Amino acid sequence: MKLTRRTAVLLTLATSLTPIAAFAQDSVKIGYQLPLTGNTAQYGQGFHEAAEIALTKFNASGVLPVPVEIIYEDSRSDAKEGVTIARKFVDDDDIVGVLGDFTSTVSMAAAQVYKKAGMVQLSQSASHPDFAKISKWQFRNITTQDQEGAVNAAWMIEKGIKKVAVIAEQTDWGQSAANGFVEPFEAAGGEVVYTEFFNRGLADFRSIITKIEEHEPDAIYTGFFYEDGAQFLKQVKQLGADTPVYSTSAAYNDTLIELAGDATEGLFLTATFLPSRQDENVQSFVTEWKKTHDVAPGQFPAQAYDAVNIMLEAVVRAYPDITRESLRDAVAETTDFPGVTGNTSFDDNGEPLKELTKATVSNGVFVEVQ
Amino acid sequence: MFDPYILQQLAIGLSLGMIYALMAIGFTLIFGVLNVVNFAHGEVYTIGAFAGLMAISAFGPPLLVVLFIALAAGAFAGFSLERLAFSPFRRFSDEASLKSRAMREATLMSSLAMSIIAREAMEMIFGSQFQSVDLAYLINKPINIGPITIVNGDLIIFAVTLIMLGGLQWLLKKSPIGLSIRAVSNNALGAKYCGINTDRTIIITFVIGSGMGALAGILVGLYYGAIFPAMGFAPGIKAFVAMVMGGLSSIPGAVISAIILGLSESLSTSFMSSVWSDMVAYGFLLLTLIFFPQGLFGARRDRV
Repeated sequence: MKLTRRTAVLLTLATSLTPIAAFAQDSVKIGYQLPLTGNTAQYGQGFHEAAEIALTKFNASGVLPVPVEIIYEDSRSDAKEGVTIARKFVDDDDIVGVLGDFTSTVSMAAAQVYKKAGMVQLSQSASHPDFAKISKWQFRNITTQDQEGAVNAAWMIEKGIKKVAVIAEQTDWGQSAANGFVEPFEAAGGEVVYTEFFNRGLADFRSIITKIEEHEPDAIYTGFFYEDGAQFLKQVKQLGADTPVYSTSAAYNDTLIELAGDATEGLFLTATFLPSRQDENVQSFVTEWKKTHDVAPGQFPAQAYDAVNIMLEAVVRAYPDITRESLRDAVAETTDFPGVTGNTSFDDNGEPLKELTKATVSNGVFVEVQ
Repeated sequence: MFDPYILQQLAIGLSLGMIYALMAIGFTLIFGVLNVVNFAHGEVYTIGAFAGLMAISAFGPPLLVVLFIALAAGAFAGFSLERLAFSPFRRFSDEASLKSRAMREATLMSSLAMSIIAREAMEMIFGSQFQSVDLAYLINKPINIGPITIVNGDLIIFAVTLIMLGGLQWLLKKSPIGLSIRAVSNNALGAKYCGINTDRTIIITFVIGSGMGALAGILVGLYYGAIFPAMGFAPGIKAFVAMVMGGLSSIPGAVISAIILGLSESLSTSFMSSVWSDMVAYGFLLLTLIFFPQGLFGARRDRV
C-alpha cells in the first residue's frame, strides 16, 4: 500500500479514536460546565486543571474497576450558554452528575434545568444564598457570603470599627456579599455610611474611592475578585487613602499580591484555603499544581479540586448501581470530607459546613490571623 | 464652590478623558481615510501593551524604549492588518467596485474577524488573566498638587496626547504624505485619477494609526498595571463614541469629545451609582446625535 497523505490522515484518526471508543463503553461520565473562554476564562481554566489533577489521581488509584470521565463544556460565564449546556448534559443519558458553573448567575440559570430533569449539580464556587435552596439537586462546597459576611462583621466590631463603606461588584454574588455583611454588622450596632456597586472589570475606581473618602469611614468592606481587587487597592494607595480594607475569600489569591505589590499590605480577609498549610492533602495538590505554574493555586482551583473529589467519592459510594438519583443521595451523604479547603459536610439544603480562616497580608504574603 | 472633592473628581475625569483620547486619535485617523470602522483597533492596542510587556520582562529597557517597541509592534500589526483584512477588498480597480459600499463595508466583518482571531490567540498564548507587570514600570506614582492627587502617568499621557495631536496635524497639513492622506480621505477615486498611490497611502495611514493605538495600549497598561487580552474592548467602545461625537473624521473633535466623556463619567459617580456612569456618557452621544447629527465638530467639510 502506498502511503498517501489521505491514508496517513485516516490512520492517525483511527489510532487516536480507538482508545476513546474502548474507553467510552463502561466509564462513568460526569459533566462539568465552566467558562473556558471569555472574560472569566482564567477561573474556568484553573478549574479545568485542578479537576484534571484530581481525576488523574483518582483513575490511577484504581478504586473503581471502571474509569471516570469528565466532559467539559464552555459556558463563557453566559447564563444562556449555561442553560444550553445543562440541556445537553441532561439529554445525554450517560451523564450521571454535573459540576459547575463558576458564577452564581449562570449556576442558578442552569440549576432550573437540573431541577426539572433531576440531576445532581455541585458548584465549586456559586456562593449566592439562594443557589442551594433551588432544589434538592443543588449542592456547593464553597462557603456562602452570609457566612463570610458574619465573620467579617464580628471581626470589625471586635476591633472597634463603627462606620463602614461597602463596595461590591454588580452581580448576584456581589449583592449577596454586601447583604451578607451589612445585616450582621448593623445588627451588632455598626453603621454603613456608603454603599456602592461597580461593574465587574471596571478599570478606574478613583471616582468611587474619592467618594468613599468623602464619607470618612473607619473601614471599607469589599466584595470583589482578585483582579478588580488589585486595581482597587492600587488606586486606594495611589490616592493616599489609608482606610483599612476588608474582603472575602474571593480576593484571596497570590496573584493579588503579585499584581498590586505593597498596596495589598494590611488587607484583611476571610479564606478557606491556605496553600502554606502543612497538611498532606494540601501539599500534594500544591506540588501537582506547581508542576505547571509558578505560583501556588488560589482558592478557586482548590475549590474545584475538592468539588471533583467530593463527586468522585460519591461515585464510589454509589457504584456499581449509579443512577442520577443514587448519585445525588451519595453526594448528600458526604460527611467530613477531608479536602484541601477544610472538612466539608452538607446540611439538608446542600450547604457546606466549613470553618473560615482569618488572614491578612504582611510583608507580601498571606498569613493567618489568630 | 470648588471644594477639593469636586477638584479631585475633575482631575480624575480629565485623566480618564486623556486615556480615551489617546486611543481615539488613531481610530479616527483610520476611519477618516477609509470611511469604515476598524474593529481590530482594540486588538492593536492590546498588541502594543503585550509587546511592551514582553520587552520589559525580557530585558527591562528604559520606559522610552518600551514605548518605541510598542509603537513598532503596533505599526507592524497595522501593516499586517491592512494586508490581511482590508486590501483583499480593494483588489478590483474598476469604478463600480471602487464606489461599492458593499465592498467597503465587507471590511467591517473582516476586521472584526481579525480582532477575534488576535484576541483568542493572545488568550491561548498568555491566558486571559491579568499579566503581572514589573511594578517599577508602572506610571502611577502619586503627585500631590494642593488638595488633589494626580499620578506621573497623567502627565506622561497628557504629553503624549499633545505630541500625537500636534504631530499628526503637522503631518496632515504640511507633509506630502499628509497631503495624499487627505486627498484619499476626501475622494479616493479622484485621488487615484490624479496619480496618488492610494494603496500605499492607505498602508501608511494604517501604520501611523495603529502605531498610535499600540502606544496608547502600553501607556494605559502601565498606567493601570492591567494588561490582559480583552483590555482593548472597553476603551475601543469609548474611542468609537468619542469619534462619533466628534463628527466621525475630526481628530481634534474626537479628542475633545473623549475629554467630555471622561469628565462626565467621573462627575456622574458623585451623583449616582457608578454602574450608571456609562449611561451618562452614552446619553451625551444620543444628545449629540439628535442635536448635532454631524457631530460636535463635523460641520466643516475638511476631513481628517
